[in-house]
Amino acid sequence: MAKVFVGMSGGVDSSVAAMLLVQQGYDVTGVYMKNWSRDLPGMKCPWAEDLADAKRVAVKLGIPFEVWDFEDAYREKVVEYMLAEFKKGNTPNPDIMCNQEIKFKLFFEKALEKGADFIATGHYARVIPFSQTSSCPPVVTGGTSSKLPVGRNVCENGISLARATDENKDQTYFLYRISKEALKHTLFPIGEMLKPDVKKLAAEHGLHNAYKKESMGVCFVGEVGMKDFLKEYIDIKPGEIREIESEKVLGYHEGAIFYTIGQRHGLYLSGVAGEKNDGMPYYVVDKDLEKNIVYVSKNLNHAAIWTKELELTDIMLRDEIPEKISVRLRHRAPLVPATFDGTKVIFENEIKRPASGQSVVFYDGEICLGGGIIK
Amino acid sequence: MIYLDHAAATPMNEKVLEAMKPYFLTDFFNPSAAYLPAKKVAHEYEEAKGIIAHTIGAKATDLVITAGATEANNLALSIAESWDNGRILYLVTEHDSVRKVAENHNGVSINVLPNGLIDMADLREKMTDDVVIISIALANNEIGVIQPLAEVSAFIREVRFDRLSRGVRTPIYLHSDASQALNLLDINVARLGVDLMTLNAAKVYGPKGVGALYVSHEVKLKPATYGGGQERGLRAGTENVPGVIGFAKAVELAHEHLNGNRKKYARFKKILLQELEDYELINKTHTLDNFVVLCYNGLDAERLIYLLEDRGVYVSTGAACAASKGVRSHVLTALGLSESEINGSLRLTLGETNTEEQIHEAARIINEVVKTERERTHG
Repeated sequence: MAKVFVGMSGGVDSSVAAMLLVQQGYDVTGVYMKNWSRDLPGMKCPWAEDLADAKRVAVKLGIPFEVWDFEDAYREKVVEYMLAEFKKGNTPNPDIMCNQEIKFKLFFEKALEKGADFIATGHYARVIPFSQTSSCPPVVTGGTSSKLPVGRNVCENGISLARATDENKDQTYFLYRISKEALKHTLFPIGEMLKPDVKKLAAEHGLHNAYKKESMGVCFVGEVGMKDFLKEYIDIKPGEIREIESEKVLGYHEGAIFYTIGQRHGLYLSGVAGEKNDGMPYYVVDKDLEKNIVYVSKNLNHAAIWTKELELTDIMLRDEIPEKISVRLRHRAPLVPATFDGTKVIFENEIKRPASGQSVVFYDGEICLGGGIIK
Repeated sequence: MIYLDHAAATPMNEKVLEAMKPYFLTDFFNPSAAYLPAKKVAHEYEEAKGIIAHTIGAKATDLVITAGATEANNLALSIAESWDNGRILYLVTEHDSVRKVAENHNGVSINVLPNGLIDMADLREKMTDDVVIISIALANNEIGVIQPLAEVSAFIREVRFDRLSRGVRTPIYLHSDASQALNLLDINVARLGVDLMTLNAAKVYGPKGVGALYVSHEVKLKPATYGGGQERGLRAGTENVPGVIGFAKAVELAHEHLNGNRKKYARFKKILLQELEDYELINKTHTLDNFVVLCYNGLDAERLIYLLEDRGVYVSTGAACAASKGVRSHVLTALGLSESEINGSLRLTLGETNTEEQIHEAARIINEVVKTERERTHG
């Protein structure tokens, strides 16, 4: 009987994942990963509820349950990375980092140490074997383009990371950086299910968290927004908001670091904006971290907003890159056609420029080919 | 449902609800208003406070009504702030609403003996001239152990005498949280020698969010809130009339049935201890009649809670809040229990919702669940 350690967050997805594994006859152990506890003085810690939910489900399923503490690693690899990136003016994605560094690294490694054959999570994604993918490239030893790194996961392991059946919930955007070694030992039990069916199944089997409110956004930021979270670590530094075309001061902000290119909410604009207030919103189009100035524009055609290409760094390729790919610029954003030359993604049509630090994820059909981080 | 967690919450008695109702609907007046119907409400409010005070041998004017025991404990310990570097001594097994305050005021904890009773030698050793207040719950909320407060207060009298003889001006007061004991013990503040005592309606089949602090006239507290000067000026704000009326009714009922209930719980406890299998009893002596703290060494009590919940039996591990915070019980740790013993500890607290039939049934279900878990862990 194959031994599986399933990451249980207390949510319905990972609960149903664990249940399915039990039904499929695996030797299942539930694990709650304690990643971040923001125990402020006098505050009731929020993770205790999630832990209790996860444990209650494990007991219901009759499986052993453990709590693995990755708090220190999480602080170092995810939170500090995130703060450092923001300080550089980037807008990082901590969930992608959490998957790469914690769930599919430390959790995976510890599970292997404990004799696991597989790890499992409640992510909406699939691992599909080589033979099932018609688009799978043939086994070759060199790239078709000399710029392409050779990293043919398909050929080495015979598996690929594939988009979830529920296109609405697909989470491969957050998973493109996880190691190939980990993926080889990963099960995504709900990857072929639709979310409503997952909930229904949970309810049918009496899992108490079937209708639990879904956690949204970054796990550890919790109910406060990212800006409020950052404010606890980065001091407020008031600065000017200027219109990029006129250089006119339109208002003030609490620190350029807190703003992201493309953002249009949370700008403190003064009455000046009203002078020619045509009801059009201002967008952040640029920021000067050194002078602490945020530049905005209401011109949606402003050159800073649109781009035809994006230069990437920290590229992680899972598969051979075909001539034409589709890419995703945000979780759940529509796929857009593009090509990749080894460092740059070139889009067929102009796109709204995402913030630096965000990820671009490549797809060939249902296969997630990898991706990179916007410079 | 078999509810065995009366130390966490009690259902409100029907009679209590009935007593409260008019003060929501018809007698809703602000007791401070000038017209006669409001004066009548003010009078009834004071009468209700008198009933509550009377059960601990005090007068209405000795009580400060609060929104529960936590607030009352916070208010009592705030006396330490009136003195430079005022120190709080507290029993190591106290509730968080005492411990957390004490930690902010150079708090020093007093050890307990393995049976949960205060270590008097340790108290004597830790008594320094900067100690303004000592907080010791009359009955502990996790294990139900009843502390010998009269013995402590006798020692405090010695300390007072000694301080005065040496010209030390810092006063010393004894505070006791009696939340768990109000409906199970005959309490008298003078006999116990306490200067401040916390009471709680929610633990005695009264409404939640209502508590009281008994304040002896010698203790000069600073106001918790400023405003209209209600509650002797210590806690301004329009009085919670229905809450206090309900509290008084609950206390009245509790005292009417005090002896009957104690006998009943003692009998139920005996049944449990006879019929349950494979356990160690943690609170063997000096304990409230309705507290049964069991240790299933080697098992995970939290798992037992979820399994029992599935069978309609509601129990707890330690204090409800400690359990939900994922931290090990500081009370059981203080008793010197090992990690595995603490993890296997269940708290059963009996109450008015229980019948003898339920107790037999609960014992049977707990035995079954424990057996299943033992089998699962052994392979």
